Amino acid sequence: MTIEEKLRSVFTETPSLRGVFVTAMPDCLLFTHWQRDNETWVAEEAAAYFGDLVRANREGLRALSSWSSDMQVTIESRDVLLVIREINADFVVACAFERSAALGMVRMYVRRVLSVLEELLPKIEQKQLPRAVRILEFLDRYAPDSHAVRHRVALRTGITYDALQSSAAQLSASQVEALESAVCDILGLDRIEV
Amino acid sequence: MSSSFSLKDHRAYAAEHDLMFLAGSPVVYHCHHFNLFLDQTIDDALGSKDGQALRISAAHEFARDLLERAVTRVRADTPAERVQVAQQLFKAMGHGALSAQLQASGGTARGSFTHYGFTWKEKYGAIVRRRFGADAVAAGFLAAATEVAYDLAPGSILARETNCIALKHDHCDFVIEPAATPAAFGAIVGPEEHRSVAQPPVAGLFEDKIAAIAAGLRDFTAGVAGDERGLVQAFGVFVTMHMAGYYNRISYDAARAVEARAPALVGDVEELLRESGHVCVFNTFGGIMLSPEWDGMVGAPGEDPTDVIIGCVAIARALGFGHWYVHEYEPRKRLVVRASSTYESGYYNTRHGRSTRPREYFLQGAVLAFMQLAHRVQWQKKPALTQPFYDSLFKGEIPCKMEQSKSLQCGDAFSEIVVSSKG
Repeated sequence: MTIEEKLRSVFTETPSLRGVFVTAMPDCLLFTHWQRDNETWVAEEAAAYFGDLVRANREGLRALSSWSSDMQVTIESRDVLLVIREINADFVVACAFERSAALGMVRMYVRRVLSVLEELLPKIEQKQLPRAVRILEFLDRYAPDSHAVRHRVALRTGITYDALQSSAAQLSASQVEALESAVCDILGLDRIEV
Repeated sequence: MSSSFSLKDHRAYAAEHDLMFLAGSPVVYHCHHFNLFLDQTIDDALGSKDGQALRISAAHEFARDLLERAVTRVRADTPAERVQVAQQLFKAMGHGALSAQLQASGGTARGSFTHYGFTWKEKYGAIVRRRFGADAVAAGFLAAATEVAYDLAPGSILARETNCIALKHDHCDFVIEPAATPAAFGAIVGPEEHRSVAQPPVAGLFEDKIAAIAAGLRDFTAGVAGDERGLVQAFGVFVTMHMAGYYNRISYDAARAVEARAPALVGDVEELLRESGHVCVFNTFGGIMLSPEWDGMVGAPGEDPTDVIIGCVAIARALGFGHWYVHEYEPRKRLVVRASSTYESGYYNTRHGRSTRPREYFLQGAVLAFMQLAHRVQWQKKPALTQPFYDSLFKGEIPCKMEQSKSLQCGDAFSEIVVSSKG
């Protein structure tokens, strides 16, 4: 039985639960997910943002000297109640519930989801993507006009478009520094957490 | 002096060339999506500081030409009258409202709803934090207004923006002061210069329909002017009547600077300049064809892609882009658009002489986008012109390829864009 099949068998019966997304860290890539058949979410698009959200939240809490490894983010939007939490250093899980679900029940279900996932998820060997690749993926996620943004980076850094597209992992340290500076300028950020 | 400056009274087309002039100075209509994307491209190419300096200088140069002609037309003789004309003109053209206190030695001005600052905040404000002001055009315009009001030498005044709506300030503020070193401007690019590059117009396919729609649109836009904010909000976009020389100078100076500094990156700046053509056609042309006004005047686009091609060419003419015409069209396979005049070629050849290769970047991007709109948009469903929809059409592999095979800039008898299906 694949991990997706196991998730389906366990979570389908959980009341009010609409979907579960597991994001592999630190690269913010979708590892696995489950969602009800009637949901039209594109899991790959959502997963990266959940990773970034936990990372930003962690930095914010550290700035307030109140970070702890068991923190979780709860978002109450118009249509969905979302709970995002780090399972361990390798994975972030986001559980999407019906908006009408009671918060107390949601917390209980989240604990159940986490206990299931802790059993199912493997320990993965850290193989972090090169920093330049992570910076470009971050840029693709957040840049306005993302279809054209790598041409913009090429002009700002002098790194060719082809190199950005196909050999970002081989960029030199000074090129990565220029890349980071250009991305900060484009997004209006002081620094990038990737 | 006549009591106010009316765009309607002073806008004119060179009828056979479909080029537009305001008080005799070349102008075109463009929307905020195009304006913001083009400004951003200039800053990418030159860096924010030099990009901003070029944009202010270009606005200054061509606003000076426009204002000199405008104050002569309305016989505005005193500095107060001339400053008033400048403020009226800026607002009527859709660039926002300026309140300026100017003297020969400079002064200050406050802007509200300035087109670039306001629309940048609207479009990008929730996504990106900006680090410097967005209103280079307003700054350049104010420098020009001061010089024209007090009969000062061209380039003798500088203006800079100190607060900007795009930086989350309540208003835009400007300081205007004497330039330490006067700026040198290039050769005048007026109606005669454009006419000298334009060729006799040619009637292409569907000419009767295109000409009729273009004429109707010209009549419609004759009454368009800034609202009480100084903005023109129409067709789902913010429209400006803008100095054609501004667009041309910033585009060509930036492209040439990249060519000199880093030849390997010329393709990137040219790609982005073409991209601004896609952005314009998708948002403005698309917005016009989805509007109730278009429905009433032409009829909503149906299933026939030919209607969209006809509409696009007519809109290009009405916006003052030049005499574009359809030379060949085979639905879903091939579109050949030619132009006997373009607002890009008149400028380029006057300022830089004959080119060794075609550089009408806007024409290139726009005609490629015509094919996208004609064949990949389900017009009957009245789609919302959103960023995700744009991405679905222009991000990644586009099913057509574009080539500019002829150019007025190279001395050819016409400019020609060939778009063909890759399939």
